[in-house]
Amino acid sequence: MKNINKLMAALGGATLVTGLAIPAASAQEGEWDIAGFVENATYYRDGQDLSKVRNTGQFEFSKDFGKKFGLSNFRVSGTLRATYDAVYDINDDEWGDEAGGARNFENADSITAQAVFGGDGSSPWGGSLLSGGVPGPGFGFDLSRNPNEGLKVLGEDYASPRGGVTIGVPVRPCDEDSRGCGLDDYMDYDKNDLRFPEFNDELDFIRELYVEGAIPTGDTSELFLRIGKQQVVWGRTDLFRVLDIINPVDFSRHNIYDELEDIRIPQWIATAEYRWGATDWFEDLNVQLVWNFDEFRPNDLGQGGTPYSILDAGSFFRAMNNCWENGCTVSNFAPAAAANPVDPGFLAADFAPGVIGIRDVELPDGHDQGGIKMEGVFRSVGFSLNYYHFYQQLPVLRGGIPAQNPFTGEVGVWDRLIAFDIEFPEVDLFGGSLDFYIDPIKTVFRVEATYTTGEEFANTLEDKLYSDSDVFRWVLGIDRNTFIPFLNKNRAFLISGQIFGQHLLDHEKEQALLGEIGMPDWDDNYIATLLIKGWWKSDTISPQIITAWDYEAEAGTFAPSVDWLISDNWRLIFGANIKFGDGMQDQEFDDCRSCNPFPGFTGPPNQTQSLGLSGIQPLGRFRSGPLGSASQEDEIQITIRYRF
Amino acid sequence: MFKKTFTTVAMAAALGVSQVQAATMEDVERSFYPYKDGGPTFEGLAPGMTINSGNVAQFKEILDAAMFQKISDGWLEMTVGETTSFDLHPNYVQATRDNLGQVSLGNELGQINGFVAGRPFPEEPDENDPRAGEKLSWNYKYGYNWGDNAAIAPFYWKFRDMESGKIERTIKFNFHFLNFKHRVNQDPVPEFADNPSNLFRGIYVQVIEPFDVKNTQLLIHRSDDDLVRDNTWLYLGFQRRVRRLSSGQITDSFLGSDLMIEDFEGYNGRISDMNWTYKGTVNVMLPFYNHNALTLATDMVEKDGYQFVDFSGKGGCFPNITWQLRRAHILESDPTDDNHPISKRVHYIDAQTFTIPRTLIYDRKGDLWKSFIIGQAHPDHHLEKNKGTGVSIDDSFSQVDMQAGHCTTGQFKGQLDPAMNPPKLFTVQNMRAKGR
Repeated sequence: MKNINKLMAALGGATLVTGLAIPAASAQEGEWDIAGFVENATYYRDGQDLSKVRNTGQFEFSKDFGKKFGLSNFRVSGTLRATYDAVYDINDDEWGDEAGGARNFENADSITAQAVFGGDGSSPWGGSLLSGGVPGPGFGFDLSRNPNEGLKVLGEDYASPRGGVTIGVPVRPCDEDSRGCGLDDYMDYDKNDLRFPEFNDELDFIRELYVEGAIPTGDTSELFLRIGKQQVVWGRTDLFRVLDIINPVDFSRHNIYDELEDIRIPQWIATAEYRWGATDWFEDLNVQLVWNFDEFRPNDLGQGGTPYSILDAGSFFRAMNNCWENGCTVSNFAPAAAANPVDPGFLAADFAPGVIGIRDVELPDGHDQGGIKMEGVFRSVGFSLNYYHFYQQLPVLRGGIPAQNPFTGEVGVWDRLIAFDIEFPEVDLFGGSLDFYIDPIKTVFRVEATYTTGEEFANTLEDKLYSDSDVFRWVLGIDRNTFIPFLNKNRAFLISGQIFGQHLLDHEKEQALLGEIGMPDWDDNYIATLLIKGWWKSDTISPQIITAWDYEAEAGTFAPSVDWLISDNWRLIFGANIKFGDGMQDQEFDDCRSCNPFPGFTGPPNQTQSLGLSGIQPLGRFRSGPLGSASQEDEIQITIRYRF
Repeated sequence: MFKKTFTTVAMAAALGVSQVQAATMEDVERSFYPYKDGGPTFEGLAPGMTINSGNVAQFKEILDAAMFQKISDGWLEMTVGETTSFDLHPNYVQATRDNLGQVSLGNELGQINGFVAGRPFPEEPDENDPRAGEKLSWNYKYGYNWGDNAAIAPFYWKFRDMESGKIERTIKFNFHFLNFKHRVNQDPVPEFADNPSNLFRGIYVQVIEPFDVKNTQLLIHRSDDDLVRDNTWLYLGFQRRVRRLSSGQITDSFLGSDLMIEDFEGYNGRISDMNWTYKGTVNVMLPFYNHNALTLATDMVEKDGYQFVDFSGKGGCFPNITWQLRRAHILESDPTDDNHPISKRVHYIDAQTFTIPRTLIYDRKGDLWKSFIIGQAHPDHHLEKNKGTGVSIDDSFSQVDMQAGHCTTGQFKGQLDPAMNPPKLFTVQNMRAKGR
């Protein structure tokens, strides 16, 4: 799937390319082997104009030094990458300094609000009827510090609030608007960070830099060592990761659609691999030890105001951090009856800083992630057994932090209050994989399965609004090359299908008075993918269709593309990425308005769990998944690349 | 084991297979040294001359049908060289002598009994032997084609438009071959000790250039039991992942070229995947030459000064080599799988080396589809390290798609160097290590 979306190319890259062209290097033994490319990827999104104008230069090098330092075939390898995404300059009213604007917030069905504000009854940011110390000291915020500008309503690109909660999201780069950028080293990108993502404190322009070599231990056996910044790839699946979890992934580059090769975040890792080769029992056998001694880095989810923010989590987090630090308006938060007993609707509420939101992020130090893999071939069946200890690469929001009771001003820890720190819990993964071929049906099968302990999920049944669950994930993939003679008699089509499954063993969900409460993630869910790819003209023209379907979210994507290898140097890819099925607007879950964190103020004194009042935000995203939550991101994509 | 062998032999006898006369030492000598008393001749043919559209009619009898047509149409001119002996390594010949008379076909297509090393069936093929073609195919499979091991490094493939002559694409490979069993020359002889899956041969391919397919790697494990399916893996550089290939992919265009994996070396598959028919023995022009005596390409010169075979003719699709009049067995193979993309291949197997320098490939309708030339270079007129190796070196190839007007050409730097082909190169894990 990823291949498809390496799409597109913007034509302006040609001049850049010409200037950078380097004669092709044809390495012979002992010489530096160098290669690289320059590329322009231009994507156009329905309703938002340009979503990507990414110009990339990549340079790869390696050299085999022969015997050095007691190692045979001592080799140094590296990959440098520099990117400039001009979309933040060209389409700055969507993604840059001019993005967002003033916003109003829904007071659904409130006759009081309609009378006050007119129109549809929505109230401006910071101007709700529950503001300015009414009905307590924790309501209202300083508009001079947190003005109604540069905002979007959380989820406005996907759906209207429809009576649910929404929050204002600052969407300009953090140097232009620092609101919601208060999480230290997490989702705090300024404009240059967004435009030039590799040039950061982690020196990501060094995609890879490692040394390697082997210590022969026999005719067929050796100890292979590699250390440096690198990608370590486990697993046998495409698109979604089950075993391939050693390197975190940068989803901000292009959601799930770029090749993992391009979006894995390289880490400083040491690997030691003992290779027996063929043994009495196995056609091939090896054991690999992996130690990720780098600082922990989570998956990059993008941030509010960027075009690729998977699950739109970056917007939610930024909005919530702004709530904590500067206060915020939340639509439809309180029953309007609180202000007018005959009002059947809801009112937006302006919260003061320190009441709700995301306070901080606790990034683990890292340096201690690692695992072991035994891999081999037995009776023509490829297999692996894997164990890995790591930190969850997706964030979890842990409640239970000290916060202000907005009604009394008292600071304390309140059960079921939507005030969080972001954490990344420790996880242990046990897994394995197989691949094998069944000749009578000419089909290759790929299987992966993992069992993890320690993962944490949102859970409105819990006082701290999260809980852990063991998780079982699996994937079954089939690959079959099939001739379709009337389309191409010379070249078979690749038909590749995969089904991913995920089961949360400690899933909790209950039916409450007003709706379901508990874990928004699905107890069981399945995602199917299908790739059909053909080749013509000596493989220089390759159209393909990729589709994916999320069973529970009832959301899918359809991504046709044509890859044209114009010459050994030039390549053009034209494609599209069209979403279908349900979007985020079709998913609702308990939004904790009825969680009653302040009994006596927000509900009856004896109410100790949510009543299940639901909305699209904020937890619908977990049910909508990466496909459904991107339902409004239909794109046309062009990529042009010059290789040298 | 004894029981199985006995039963097989008994059944073979019942089928009349054993009626074929047993091979003798004289057969061995005739098989390996057919030109001891001089090469074949043909009226009007002389070393140094050129066969072209003007005189080709005179030589129709010693040209295969496709080659005759191509020369007639002016696609290429054929320079005639002297017929020379390509003596295979003495150890291979001796292994043939040592195991003479101990080899027999099994009951089923793809079964062979008693084979240790050398040429399994050195006797002259007999048109009255219904399994003569199968025996020739075994002689090819267990031939000394690349010796016990070899590397082609580098190996340039060029995709060419025959009409315009434009080179559409150039792929630079390294190829490696290793026999795990039936070895005759390099230790361990006759086989490697740790060989749990009873492999006969490994083929490992790595793409060096261009960038879009760089680090693509192919690994083929061929079992010594011909009834066992090959295991084939592909490493895709852009995915950093090893993927197992289905057998369908070995009959698919390899990386967009005019070759399928099954075409490598003339035929790269199982005996049991084809029905084999012996069609007679002829004297025919075959691409055998001395590499160092050719006018070689002046581009892509290696650091050690090695130059590759050059190409010319229509679309640049034909190697600038010399051709010899040689004895060849015509062997027809048609797939046992009805869904195979071809209907048959017609191989011209060199009677001395059992290499396959010429193959004609027919599509499912029975029309000529592709014409394959594999130029054979004498090892004593090649790289210094190849001298005395007794291997007929694959040195150039041309696969012409007669229907599409397209061709793929290959330029080899074949190296008979065991250090380049250690067993650890032929493992799945090596593919991951070589990749990035």
